[in-house]
Amino acid sequence: MVVTLWFSFSVRNTGPSTIQLFPHMMSMAAIDASAVSKRYRTETALDRVDFAVEEGETFGFLGPNGAGKSTFINMLLDFAKPTQGSVSIFGHDCQSEGVAARERIGVLPEGYSVYERFTGRQHIEYAIRSKEADDDPVEILDRVGIRGDADRQASDYSKGMAQRLVLGMALVGEPDLLILDEPSTGLDPNGAAKMREILREENARGATVFFSSHILEQVESVCDRVGILQNGELVAVDTIEGLRSSLGGGTKLVITVAEFVQGMLESVRAVDGVETAVTAGDQTIEVTCVNDANMDILVELHSLGVDVVNFRTDEASLEDMFIEYTGA
Amino acid sequence: MTWETIARRDFEMAAGAGSRKLLLGLTGLSVLLAAYIYPIIGVEPITTARFGGFVTDWLTTVLPFVGVLLGYGAVVNERESGALRLSLSLPNSRLDVLLGKFCSRAGLLTGVLLVSLAGAGILVVYPFGELVIGRFLAFVFLTTLFGSIWCGLGLATSLVVATRRRALVLSFTLVFLSVVVWGAVETALRAGLNAAGVIDGDLPGPAKFFFGLEPGHVFQRVVSGLVTGGMADGPWYLNEWVALFLLVLWSVGPLGLAYASFARRDVS
Repeated sequence: MVVTLWFSFSVRNTGPSTIQLFPHMMSMAAIDASAVSKRYRTETALDRVDFAVEEGETFGFLGPNGAGKSTFINMLLDFAKPTQGSVSIFGHDCQSEGVAARERIGVLPEGYSVYERFTGRQHIEYAIRSKEADDDPVEILDRVGIRGDADRQASDYSKGMAQRLVLGMALVGEPDLLILDEPSTGLDPNGAAKMREILREENARGATVFFSSHILEQVESVCDRVGILQNGELVAVDTIEGLRSSLGGGTKLVITVAEFVQGMLESVRAVDGVETAVTAGDQTIEVTCVNDANMDILVELHSLGVDVVNFRTDEASLEDMFIEYTGA
Repeated sequence: MTWETIARRDFEMAAGAGSRKLLLGLTGLSVLLAAYIYPIIGVEPITTARFGGFVTDWLTTVLPFVGVLLGYGAVVNERESGALRLSLSLPNSRLDVLLGKFCSRAGLLTGVLLVSLAGAGILVVYPFGELVIGRFLAFVFLTTLFGSIWCGLGLATSLVVATRRRALVLSFTLVFLSVVVWGAVETALRAGLNAAGVIDGDLPGPAKFFFGLEPGHVFQRVVSGLVTGGMADGPWYLNEWVALFLLVLWSVGPLGLAYASFARRDVS
């Protein structure tokens, strides 16, 4: 009763300011891009990109090389300034409050190089001092798998080892958000798997993970949502499931037949719900369609006199969807 | 205050380079050598204050070179390699980078100058010289300020261009203009105007002021006014306090302008 009274009192008298008193109670996007564009003299690198990464999710930023992924990350880090629009991290504008925006994040940038005459351990120590954290450098080097090389000069590291080192620097201070630009560059398959494992652990700890990639397999296995960037435009933002369903249910039907018949593909394409139909090899037809169309296709083939030897359904992989979206 | 972290990292790296040790070692040694020679060839009385006047010519020639050599690569090297992206992806601002680099590089030169000038003081005083402590300390301060100005000018070129080579060319152009060309133009103009009968002897005050804007000239005016006491009479704007103000302006002005450009540009 007392609580109710207090509440009604405060609502009546201090209405809007009651909400502003507790900004941390409102959900705040980890990354918020509002209509952000970047133009260079002759080309548009980013065109009105508009989306938000929510706290706690793992977000994959996809696109072919040159689509504008790094340009976007450069603006998050204030390496580049938007021509229009704005980006913010946990409510801090990345340009006007750059240092505050970078205080709670860990970054693996693209196109970096390690410091000359500095060992791996010194790099981690430098990140600890810069972030005013109190991590144990050895523990971090151990976690990214280069503990044995801690006291070697980092400029002698291989690309993969440097990548692990800078990931280690990013992990310093338990950041609330990890921003990783093509994190698996230079890593061998084991290293890439280790990277994914660390990203999962960090996400489980509560960190938001945002990373760009053109390698779809790793995105599919760790991401809650993906954004697809194409020629500077964001062409899709959704969960992988959501992308599947928006692409006609996302079912791929792989049908093995005894032999092809004239006009077969045209007839299949004419079936309601079929999106694409192509031949793959001598005896296989691949059809993407809505789920309901499966039987209709088989019936159509039967009526054409095509002998169906075998068939199976595949869920459209991220790669199929990616190709569909980007027209690659 | 993360600029301290950057300064510390840069100092650890910069002090470790062999070429820089050699450069700074030679600078310190040359100051000591001047102090060794001064009591032998100098005019009585031999004092630490008058030593300042003896060595300024040498310092205005050498410190510009040493200063820009220390400063010109400070930021552009890391911009070119990509290490700057690592620094700026941490919670460091670009101003932190500037302050950290300046403190590290200018601090390195200041340290060397302090040690070598202390040694020089001893060489001058022992066995027959006189210690004029106040003026000598003023001279030490002015010398470190002059060295820092040239470190700052080197660093300023490092902030405004995209490659190490351009920074080197730009900073050496500045040194060449300042140390060689500026004084020669002044001399030639004076000789020309004298020959034409326009002036008799010295350049008029405003022209002297204009040619006196160059950091080396400013430094010499402050030293002769505040340390050796050999300032000639002239209009107020040629006195040592105006010169001191100009010296301070040189130490912050170019860096401020360079920072404005550095803060605006993309780190590609």
